[in-house]
Order: sequence, then C-alpha cells, then structure tokens
Amino acid sequence: MTTQQNQLNALENRVTWRRRFSIFSVAAMAVGLLVVGSLVLTVGSVHIAFRQVWAILVSHLPLVNLEVNWSSTTDMIVTGIRLPRIILAGMAGAALGVAGATYQGLFRNPLADPYLIGVAQGAALGAVTGFLLPWTFLGGYLIPVLAFLGALVSVSAVYLIARVGKAIPVTTLILAGVAIGSFLISLTSYITIISADKMPGILSWLMGKFSMANWEQVGLIAPFLVVGLAVIFIFARPLNVMQLDEEQAEQLGINVERTKLILMAASTLITAAAVCFVGTIGFVGIIIPHAVRLIWGPDHRTLLPLAALSGAILLILADTASRTLFPPTEIPVGVITAFLGAPFFLFLLRRKKKAVF
Amino acid sequence: MATSLESPSTRIEGDFLFLFGNDLARMDLMRRFYFLGSIILALLIAASGCKSPVPQGNITDDLGRTVQIKGIPQRIVSLSPSNTEIVYALGLEDRLIGVTTYCNYPPEAQKKLQVSGYSTVDVEKVVSLQPDLILADSIHKTEVIPALEKLGIPVIGIVAPSLDQLLADIELVGKISGKQNAASVLVASLKQRITAVKEKTAGASKPRVFFVTWHDPLWTVGRGSMIDDLIVRAGGSNMASDLKANQTIDLETAIQRNPEVIVVLSSMGDQAVSYNFLKNEPRFQATDALKNNRVYQVDSDIFGRTTPRTIDALEELAKLIHPELYK
Amino acid sequence: MIKLEMQGISLSYNHAPVVDKVSFQVVPGEMLGLIGPNGCGKTSIIKALSRVLPLRSGKIQLDGQDINRLSRSQMAKLIGVVPQNPLMPETFTVAEVVLLGRTPHLGLLRHESAGDLKIVEWAMERTGMSTLASRKIGELSGGERQRVTVARVLAQEPVAILLDEPTANLDINHQTAILDLIRDLCKERNLAVLIALHDLNLAAQYCDKLVILKGGRLFTEGTPRQVITAENILAVYGMNSLVYPHPENTLPVVLASNKADNRSNNSRISEK
Repeated sequence: MTTQQNQLNALENRVTWRRRFSIFSVAAMAVGLLVVGSLVLTVGSVHIAFRQVWAILVSHLPLVNLEVNWSSTTDMIVTGIRLPRIILAGMAGAALGVAGATYQGLFRNPLADPYLIGVAQGAALGAVTGFLLPWTFLGGYLIPVLAFLGALVSVSAVYLIARVGKAIPVTTLILAGVAIGSFLISLTSYITIISADKMPGILSWLMGKFSMANWEQVGLIAPFLVVGLAVIFIFARPLNVMQLDEEQAEQLGINVERTKLILMAASTLITAAAVCFVGTIGFVGIIIPHAVRLIWGPDHRTLLPLAALSGAILLILADTASRTLFPPTEIPVGVITAFLGAPFFLFLLRRKKKAVF
Repeated sequence: MATSLESPSTRIEGDFLFLFGNDLARMDLMRRFYFLGSIILALLIAASGCKSPVPQGNITDDLGRTVQIKGIPQRIVSLSPSNTEIVYALGLEDRLIGVTTYCNYPPEAQKKLQVSGYSTVDVEKVVSLQPDLILADSIHKTEVIPALEKLGIPVIGIVAPSLDQLLADIELVGKISGKQNAASVLVASLKQRITAVKEKTAGASKPRVFFVTWHDPLWTVGRGSMIDDLIVRAGGSNMASDLKANQTIDLETAIQRNPEVIVVLSSMGDQAVSYNFLKNEPRFQATDALKNNRVYQVDSDIFGRTTPRTIDALEELAKLIHPELYK
Repeated sequence: MIKLEMQGISLSYNHAPVVDKVSFQVVPGEMLGLIGPNGCGKTSIIKALSRVLPLRSGKIQLDGQDINRLSRSQMAKLIGVVPQNPLMPETFTVAEVVLLGRTPHLGLLRHESAGDLKIVEWAMERTGMSTLASRKIGELSGGERQRVTVARVLAQEPVAILLDEPTANLDINHQTAILDLIRDLCKERNLAVLIALHDLNLAAQYCDKLVILKGGRLFTEGTPRQVITAENILAVYGMNSLVYPHPENTLPVVLASNKADNRSNNSRISEK
C-alpha cells in the first residue's frame, strides 16, 4: 500500500474509532445515570432497605404481582417523594449542562454559563416578586410561572438591546447581559431585604432546592426539556463550525445569525424550565462542559449528549448529598455545587499550560 | 438597690425639734413619741413616692450584655413588635417615641413614629430622637446594638425562647422603667392562665404536633424555641423536638413521623400559602392529621412574637390540640 | 467556463464609499492578483465576494448566476475563502478543522462518509499536513495554520478560491511555499483564484493577471509585465521606483529608489 493509502486508512480508522468511542461513552454514561439514580433512590433520611426499594419499584410495573409487605407511606416515600425528586434533579442537571456547553460554544468563551445573558437574574426577580404578591389565582404555581416569565423577559431585553440590525454581536450580548443582570440583581436584593418573614423561603429558592419535587413538576418541565434538548442536539454540527470565527462559518454555509438565535432561544427555554421550580443552581453549567471537554474533546456531537448525562448525574448526586448530610434538614443544592465548583476552577487554572478550550 | 433614708430623716427630726420645741416640751413622752413617729412616717411615705432620678446601676440583658441604666427611662424606642406590645402592656406607651413599621398591636402603635423596618434600623433617626432606652431583639445583636452602644445609648436585648423567659423579660422591663407593680400584676395573671392550661391538659394523651412556619422547603421549630415550649405546655408533643430551634425538615421525615395535628403559621399579609399547601398536598393525605382533618392555621402576628399575647397563643394552641377538653 | 465576474460593483463600509464601479473577471485556471495601497478596497472586494459586505450597486456573477441568489450552502460549495487572520479553535485537531470544510456537503445531520474522509485526506496530503493530522491547532506554527485553512478550503471542493493577503506575517520561505501551492492547485484543478496581495514582487511572480486599485477605483489591469511599471507605481503609490526583469524569468521586480531627490513628497515623513 502506498503511504497515501496508509494515511487514509489511518484517518478512517481514527474517525471510526472516535465515533465508536463516542457512542460507547454515551451508552455507558446513560447506564451510569440509571445506576446512580437507582442507588440514590435507596438513600434518604428515612431508612428503607435496599431490597425493599427495589420491590416497591418492581411492584409498580404493569403485570407484576408482588406480595406487599410495606406500608403505603413507605411506598409513597419511594415513588412519590424520592423518585420524582431524582428525576427532577436529573432533568435540571441535563438542562444546565447542555445550556452551559451551548453558551460556551456560541460565545467561544470558557467562562460562559447558562446564566450569562440574564436567565438566572430574570428568574430570580420573577420568583421573588411571586413570593410577595398577594395573588392567589395561580396557587402554588405563582412563583414558578413568574420565574419562567422573568427569565424569558430578561433574555428578550438583553437580546433586543444587543441586536444590531439583524445581527447579534457576541461582545455586545455579553455586556448587555451583564448590565441587565446586575440591574435585576439589585432589584431582587431590595425585594429580598423587605420581604420580612418570607426571607427564609426566598433565600432557599435562590440557593436552589428540590425539596418539594413532585410528579406534576416533572410532567410540566419534561416537554420543554425534550424539545429544547432535541433542537440543540440537532444543531451540534453548526455549533462545531461556529468554533471558527463567524465569517468563516458563514462561508461554510452556516446561517450564523439564525443559528445563534435558535440556540440561544432553546438554551434559555431549558434553563428557565429547569430553574423555575427549583431555583438558581450554579456551577453545574460551567463545570460539566469543561469536564466533558477535557476527556472527550470539543466535538459538540459528543459533547452535548455527554453534558446532558453527566449534568444529570452530578446534580442527582449533589441533591442526594443535600438531603443526607445532616438529616432531617437539607442543605441547599446550590451550596453543594458551589463547594464542588471552587476546587474545580482551581484545578482548571492549574492546567492552563495545556489549552482546555 | 435599697436606698437609705437615715441621714435625711435625722436632719428633719432635728429641724422639727427646733420648730416645735416648745410644743414638744409641753407633751408627755408617749404623745411626743406618737407625734414624731407620725411625722417621720408621713415623710417616709412622701419620700417613697418621689420620682427624683435615682441611679439604677447594671442590668444583664437576654443577650448576656451588661448595660448601665441611669435613672428611669422616659424616652423609649422599641425595635421589635414584641417589645412594643410589652411596652403597651405595662402602660408605658406615653414614653414610647419610636417603633418599627411592623408594630401593629395594639392598633394605636401604628401612629407612633417609625424608625425601623423588619431588620434594617434607621440609626440616625433613632439617635435624633434622643432616647434613653432602646429595646432590641436578637437580630440586632451584630450590627445595630454595637452601633447604638458606641453612641452611648442604653440598649437592652430581649429574647424569649420560653414562657419563663418571657415572664422574666416583662418583669425586667417593668423594673427598668419603674413599673414593677404593673409588671408583677401582669405576670401573676399570665401565670395563672398558664397554670390553668397545664391543669386542663394534664393527664390527656399528647398528640404529635407538627408546627410549620414555611412550606417550601418545610421549616419547623425544634427545642429551645418558644413555640416548642407552647406545644409542650398545651399538652402536645412537638414532632420536631429533636431539631434545632429553627430548621428545615425534609418531606420524607415529616410524612414518616405521621403528625396527628398540623399547625401552620400564616404568612404576613394574611395569605394562606403554607396552609393551603399543607391541606392540599397529596403526599400528606395519608397522615393522621389530614385524615382526621386536623390542620389549622394560626396568626403569625401572635405566634411569631413573644409578648403577653403569647399566652393567648398558648390557650389557642391548647384548644387546637385538645378540642375534646374545651367543648 | 465558470467565470467569476464583478460587474460595476460599488461598496460602502460604515456609510463611507470604499469601492466605486469596479469590474473585472476571473477565469478558471487563472490566478488574478488584486494589488494597490492599503485602503484601496482589496479586502472589501474579497468581503463582497464572500457576501460579508453587501453591494451598494453592481452585480457579482458566478457561472452566469447572481451570487446573491445562491443559498449559503451552494455558495460554500462553489467559492472557498482563505481569510487574512482566520480564527481557529486551539483544541481542534488538524483533521477536525479540515473536516469542517465538508460542512456544505453534509447538511445538518448526515455523518461523514468514507468519501468525505477521502477528500479530507487528499486535502491534507496536498497541503503537506498529513503527518500532522492529529496535532492540535494550538501546537502549530503560523505557516502550518495557514496551510490548514487552505486544506479546509480545498475540502469544500470549490470552483473558485479567494485569498486575502495570505502572505502577511509569514517568513519568506513560507510565503513562496504557500503561493507555489496555490498556483499548483489553480492549474491542477482548474480553479479560478483571486488573491489580494500587498507585495508587488510576489504578485508579479505568481499571478497570471493583475488588477490595480487606487482609491476604490480600477486603475489598470493586465499581465504583470504590462502593469508593473515605474510609471504605474508612481501614479498609484506616489513613489519613485526601479523595475528590473527577474534574472530567471524576466518578470518585473520592483525596487524602491534610494536617491533622496527621487523620493516624492508623498513618501517623505513630515518634519513637523
């Protein structure tokens, strides 16, 4: 064989091997997610034996007839409290991981996170306002609805300010996001200060919690998540191409402005859905994309699904820690992720010699 | 601190002898004795009612601080709704010159000058009023109290995590402000009511009570809190007595402990958010409390403060926990 | 014959006119050089051709079709652009970047086929990057990065290639290497090549035809021998020069005149 042929084979082999490794990684991590999820189901401030947890789960499957030797309360704890909570944590983690990876790719900036263009600040202001408003027609959904709307309004404001003609220059977007974000934070702080006896509730929301997770919330968030993630995954290749500068991406056939808009909208949607019930949880959106990129490289076709899965695993573990460290009290999840985030950033800084982005 | 009247009285006696010397010389010994004695007695009575500034010395407040009070305070500022209620209960409202925006009981308190929000105190305004006594709370410990101390204003921190402490606090404020009698009377009647509740509920079984202060996440009160004390005295058992005074409890544990009675604190602004949640949350439906329809809401203006009205709270709580005893 | 034609194009940049009614064409197998002083409109024309800058008037046609009617993908399959300072992600490997050149052929979801990989491999081999295929961009030198971009453009399989000052910032050996490569590709694959250059001598050596711009207008066009003359240089650059034939191929070589009184006013730095 000629050297040409050799090298072509080498390239083909590398690509094939790469692809197989990616598929294997995604499958393995999906399995890992299931394993972690089920293990974590058996843990909680109320002690329930491992085997019993499994028995309870299995007994809910159709066509299964198991002898019931546990109380209905125990069943409810496993299937009505822990299970939806774990799923919600997983969904939020997936959303934040993917949104973070998307923003880092869109802005070509390793410090970008899902909250860069005002999502968190808008959601926080909406939620905090919901705490204080005396409206009762939405009942317990007032806060999540206002949080969701707050996030969307905030990002829209940032987008409209940053837009120049039909284009959204990236630097302007970031600056507008920072400016509006700061303004919203100041409003939120003021409202928090005057919130009197609502302050513990507000602070809990701001630091993130999964304590009241239920199946209804799961059902409400799931469609946003599925649609948003699907859209983002479809645009993985354009996101790759956009790692060149925007001019080159246009010249390669990518409609850059439209891609930016679609990816921003989808990311905002999944982030808003993730935080409106559980509050603003930090660090997941930054840590996960970096960690995945370190191991699997920058190709978004692998990066995005892996970010979703590992984000889910991370947040499930963090939530488990939050409810098992000092039972029966809960540490806000945001505190746990911050605890993990700080050393991770130090680790990243020390690796600066080798380019990580 | 006991005051001595010895030196002045011998002086007075000397003057009277000088003034009435002739008359006294003509009286016999017994009548002389009675005459002088009644004059001395009259002087003593007059002197005891005298309000001349008498230095009080050092007081130890609930925050463990030693405060020097000089004389009877005439310009009092209250930095918490609880303290305002105590001030009114002791009849000191005429001396009250500053309150917080949340001091709404009694209603007249709302007409007083407001110098503080929920936790932020307008120190300038307070100082401009030239108070000689400030009644503060535990939240003021780290910043507000040191600031006021530096300006030389006496600040007393009042924190009552139990009924006994509350009664002691009422007596303390009474003593500092020269209203010991009013304080004693009030404390005696409160004690009577407390004992009445204790006797009524003695012997009854103690249901598990879950006191909820917020629902998302669930906040409850544990040992070392006033409400824990109330629950016990009202003949109940605090489901969260193993927790700290103010702590979150996760849903699993709350449900698994199967409360028999759930009492929910209303939120400010008269919303029933937490109450509605506890009443309607499907996962609580299997608890005894929901099955027997024993979920109640109580007013945070009463249950969230430590004032004479806390005994009202005790009585209300006893009725909620043991309705069968109050038919 | 797929011609790239510029017909009377005028361009503005930030509302200031930079190009005024310029017309010329590039034919396949021909390397056309755009030369002129800084600010004469070279880069603007390249940007207009890659549809970054909109036309104020005039038409650009490729194979008789107005390029503004083409979709982005269609454009990308026809015209490849090697920009002046292309940004490349430091952590991508050479192969990954070159593979990006196949984007217009792949659409949103299709995976790279063996055929695509063949083309990528050929592009890398042709630009001498095969042995560096799995190196990260961050580890390459300036000349190597330049060649990666050329390989990426080749992977697009275009019929025309535009290059914006590809030799800026390169050492002299790399300058000639890249131009050799471009010229070979131009002839081999019958590409229409338009290249903006600031170096008159390189332009003379490599381009079949030259277009000289001055102040946004077409000054003259023709072969290097016709166009690179001391008179033209004086008219366009305001500088006196000496033009000699290259000893090896008689193509014009430009030398700046060193005699003090031969310098014009324009090129003297003001004493004030």
